[in-house]
Amino acid sequence: MKKKQILLYTAFFLIMALLPLVANSKWLAVGTTFLIFSVVALSQDIVLGKAGMFNMGQALFFGLGAYTTAILNAKFNWPLLATMPLAILVPALFGILLAGPIIHLRGDYLLVTTIGFNIVFVQVLQNNLGGITGGPNGIFGVESLSLPGLADSPQTSAFYLSLIVLLITFVLMHNLEKSKAGRALHYLREDDLAAGAIGINTRVYKIFSFGLGAGMAGMAGTIYANQYSAVSPEAFDFVQSVLFFSIVIVGGSSIPGILLGVFLMFVLPEIFRDFATWRYFIFGIAMIMTMILRPRGLWPASFGNIPKELIRGDQNGR
Amino acid sequence: MADNTLVLTNVTKRFGGLVAVDDLSFTVKQGQIYGIIGPNGAGKTTVFNCITGIHPCEEGSINWCGEEIRLLSPHKIVQRGIVRTFQTIRLFSQMSVAENIMSGRHIKSSQGWWNAIVPTPGSKKDEKKNWQRVGELLDFFDLSDVTVNAAGSLPYGTQRRVEMARAMATEPKLLILDEPAAGLNDQETLGLIETIYKIKDLGVTILLIEHDMDLVMEVTEYLTVINFGKKIAEGTPDVIQKDPAVIEAYLGSEDDDE
Repeated sequence: MKKKQILLYTAFFLIMALLPLVANSKWLAVGTTFLIFSVVALSQDIVLGKAGMFNMGQALFFGLGAYTTAILNAKFNWPLLATMPLAILVPALFGILLAGPIIHLRGDYLLVTTIGFNIVFVQVLQNNLGGITGGPNGIFGVESLSLPGLADSPQTSAFYLSLIVLLITFVLMHNLEKSKAGRALHYLREDDLAAGAIGINTRVYKIFSFGLGAGMAGMAGTIYANQYSAVSPEAFDFVQSVLFFSIVIVGGSSIPGILLGVFLMFVLPEIFRDFATWRYFIFGIAMIMTMILRPRGLWPASFGNIPKELIRGDQNGR
Repeated sequence: MADNTLVLTNVTKRFGGLVAVDDLSFTVKQGQIYGIIGPNGAGKTTVFNCITGIHPCEEGSINWCGEEIRLLSPHKIVQRGIVRTFQTIRLFSQMSVAENIMSGRHIKSSQGWWNAIVPTPGSKKDEKKNWQRVGELLDFFDLSDVTVNAAGSLPYGTQRRVEMARAMATEPKLLILDEPAAGLNDQETLGLIETIYKIKDLGVTILLIEHDMDLVMEVTEYLTVINFGKKIAEGTPDVIQKDPAVIEAYLGSEDDDE
């Protein structure tokens, strides 16, 4: 990583870590949701931003993780953190199973299919499948984790837990970017025919991106269930998927871009809550303007992060 | 047949009612520079698409090193040492030249998908080794001045070189070039010829389609001429140039295709 990046991320985490000292519990809750949504948006970025597949059902995997945690914790009394591995594995497995038969679809066709999956998922939850999803009301009474030393403030605990999960997500995104599989996803987005013709198993890597994105979204599901002590179907419906989709498109496929996107799409409306419905009006216009003026997003992905020893002389790139 | 020989036998490819490749047979021997020529729309690129698995053909046989590869998917064919470039350059245009070439190292990399989540010392070493190889290819193809440039922003001739470098990164035994000189100026074409010879010297067999007759006649050792998907002649460049059927195909149907 470049020095500037390290500085930027350190500053971000410092500010975030200090936030509980200045924010009241309402704003801390907004901050926590910002962190949770950032993890989901980053997971969406793996499928949409990196691999370039129009997945508009990310809320499904987010919800699957949240429900896995809620069911295991509230109904079977598993400790909250113990549910996390399953909350990652179950969505990842579903991601792989659902992606398998639809992965050859392109663009808009894939988009419609994933919307369909999302709608079916919410219907299943509302109809209380197997008597464990709690129907339209969802599941209450999920444990609020208290981190050591923060027993008196569950909101602060939830905030720090989310911050830790976001940090883990950053590490994962970094590892992905520096690996063969991560690059393969970029090649798929740029030109999947050429990617196949150079030896990349396009099908496997497309499914891989779905599985990884789903697992990451599931991980966010655990901290979501912890934050609200409850899960309900409407939190994971198709409109929520549209939100995550828009965050990646408006923000751009980069970590700063995604964080900016979540901030604009989620935190800013909270700040301007006093303006009631007007905020969404301005918001819509802002989204349109972003797409016209910066079609690749506010902070687009940057390429050319290659080992220094390959770069001769003083090339500046583009 | 000997090693590294590509044998097409009675290959036929139909698109609906259109017979794009009709009962075509030819043999490319190890170390050759083999050319396929023919008027526009003769089905040359379709032949390449059949060999590389992009459009598998329904009839006939494509045999490589003694193995039938007709129905294999594109990435499996690359793993067996056949790689191609495209007539309309298909680079990963937003990505840097180095990253484009690195894509060719994909099949040579020992990393598993799990290394994208948890890197290991082994995967880091593998990563380093492959980048090093990219560095060598950048030098070989004289691209080290544009290492970090976005591939899509480069001049056409340079993009062609990047595409060839990317293909060579897979360490192929057979390199298939689809009209490598298309869109190049004279000087770039001379450079291309030099590059083709350099690749041949590495022991790579080359199969190419080309419109630039000067280039074809100079570099290829053996030619197959096709028209309307059918082979109309084959032989060395000297023989082909005098073949009446070839002359007729080129003069007689100059502008009724495409």
